[in-house]
Amino acid sequence: MTAAGFVGFEIHSRTDVYAGAEQSSSAANFGTLGITFRARKAVSDDEWQAALLALSCELPQASGV
Amino acid sequence: MRGVSNDMTQTIGIPAIDLEALRQAIQDEYALVADQPEHGFHFLVGRPLAQLLGYQPDWLEGIPEPTIASFAGTGNPFSAGPLQPGEHVVDVGCGGGIDSLIAAKMVGPVGAVVGVDMTPAMLAKARASAVAARLDNVEFREGFGEALAVEDDWADLVISNGVLNLMPDKDAALREMARVLKPGGRLQIGDILVQKAVPQSAKEDISLWTG
Repeated sequence: MTAAGFVGFEIHSRTDVYAGAEQSSSAANFGTLGITFRARKAVSDDEWQAALLALSCELPQASGV
Repeated sequence: MRGVSNDMTQTIGIPAIDLEALRQAIQDEYALVADQPEHGFHFLVGRPLAQLLGYQPDWLEGIPEPTIASFAGTGNPFSAGPLQPGEHVVDVGCGGGIDSLIAAKMVGPVGAVVGVDMTPAMLAKARASAVAARLDNVEFREGFGEALAVEDDWADLVISNGVLNLMPDKDAALREMARVLKPGGRLQIGDILVQKAVPQSAKEDISLWTG
């Protein structure tokens, strides 16, 4: 999502949309749920770059090893 | 803003799958939903599904029953934030048009909605329902989610419902949604969340994409 230009990704709701269907689905094997999510397009390159940077995950430096 | 990835992001690999065969299988499945919604599918359809997902009765007022009957979404884009009068909306994979028509009602006559779908049977149903509902601020265009026939920075809001999961190249689809949105424009999507790892062999099995 962020690589595509979006920021503020948030899953808004989850619903089991397969329960009760007339035919069985392979979806159940993978724990599949219906969801609604939202995000917005970054307003500027600066905001987008900041969102990309926020994705970085640096491990704390080991010390005394 | 587009087409950039770096070492801080991870894009999802595209399954090795025959894209044309996949699109044909999806079209066959959803043409059946359009023409015979009572057939019985592995997913819920129609008004019961809309109720399950929290579609408000007033949203459905005036929407022709054939379009409601072929609703096959997986979420509720309208629950994720309100639409404002005058806004421009793109509905990616609009199907029989239920979300496009609801959006057209919400944005009003000064607003505009473009629904895009690749299945002719669904588009025919959507266009007929727009005429029946007397909504002339909505237009339906044939096309693919990865190449929307919409100009850059046109939309205030992109909605989609149960479609992104059917597109192998999700990165391309998301970039295309970003392209048509104005800066700061919103994305409100219903789709599916897979909580267990899907083996590569399953990703490459077309029958599992539609079943």
